[in-house]
Amino acid sequence: MSGIEPSGIGEVAGDDPLADAAPATLPRIVLVDDHALFRSGVRAELNGRCTIVGEAADVDQAVAVILVTAPDVVLLDVHLPGGGGVAVLEQVLAQRPDQAFLALTVSDAPDDVVATVRAGARGYVQKTIAADELVGAIEQVRAGEPVFSPRLAGFVLRAFSGQAPSGAVDEEVEQLTPREREVLQLIARGYAYKQIAQRLDISPRTVESHTSAVLRKLQLTSRHELSRWAARRGLVD
Amino acid sequence: HLHDSVLQTLALIQRSATDPDRVVHLARTQERGLRAWLAGREETEITSLAVAVELVASEVEDETGVLVDCVIGGDRPMDDRSRDLVAATREALRNATRHGGGAEVRLFLDVDAAATTIFVRDDGSGFDPATVPEERRGVRDAIIGRMHHAGGSATYDSSPAGTEVALRLPLAEGSGA
Repeated sequence: MSGIEPSGIGEVAGDDPLADAAPATLPRIVLVDDHALFRSGVRAELNGRCTIVGEAADVDQAVAVILVTAPDVVLLDVHLPGGGGVAVLEQVLAQRPDQAFLALTVSDAPDDVVATVRAGARGYVQKTIAADELVGAIEQVRAGEPVFSPRLAGFVLRAFSGQAPSGAVDEEVEQLTPREREVLQLIARGYAYKQIAQRLDISPRTVESHTSAVLRKLQLTSRHELSRWAARRGLVD
Repeated sequence: HLHDSVLQTLALIQRSATDPDRVVHLARTQERGLRAWLAGREETEITSLAVAVELVASEVEDETGVLVDCVIGGDRPMDDRSRDLVAATREALRNATRHGGGAEVRLFLDVDAAATTIFVRDDGSGFDPATVPEERRGVRDAIIGRMHHAGGSATYDSSPAGTEVALRLPLAEGSGA
């Protein structure tokens, strides 16, 4: 995407001495979205609650800014010029496997969202999300926990049931355990982790370990498909 | 993308609303209409349960002004029993919007090998089935009766945290609870 905007898109905001003096507890965020108006809205809402250390409007800018700034969390638009959010995930995670990403989307298209989560995002939120919930989701991802919104839980259940069109999970791949399915279903019905823990008579931490396991399975399916593809072409022993 | 931009604008409107409830409601109505148009859905010929459920949710949203958040966990082709399920869902949604104190109502459509289940949940103060007022009991009976007619069941789970009804249609007719 040509035309760098005067707002400093593609640049690192770390020159500002005030940013360096910000409390260590505020999450450091890189904001990646090709809609300038949306970015400025998020910037305004996160003001004082997160430190925006960089912004980007396309894949190449995003990869460069993220690798330079090493943020706590990247807010990543699913649809991005130059290959989409998936391209950013693939390129960054190849160099920094621990980088945390939270996907953002207006589109409810399950395939796009599941593809982004499979590529390594730790969850997704809709762009209509309220500021408080966005900060909560950022903190959750920063703490290493996946953000499983009801909608994402629904998408994942569909993917594992073999009903998702092109985002379907290979039948040979490890399926969800009954307990994992149960937890996802309760998330889809809108229950909070604490409520789920009570209903299933388990601890909230156990609920989190189930959602982490589901995320891992989802992400493993991508690798499985990749190695099957490679084996078919005689590229692997 | 033209439609992407429109959706972006709608997202902005929802985020920056100064008259929150009304503006969000209008934006949501436009958004649903636009999504349906984009997906090329023909309202007269609905073959998918998921589409029918989302349209019913839209209807109730427009009727009541209460937001209905649908999560679709699967899909099935429409048949006579699904039509009963959808009708029961409409009543359950209306109930939830009336008694949920105006807060968002949640719907989840679950499809697995054994059954199709729709969960409708509100965050209202809940009710004690023993003391439920006559009017509400009548509507509930309509929901339960309709589900039994289809060979399925309606189960209520009510607490101070809210009320959830599970409308369950087993795969094989007559094998329901």
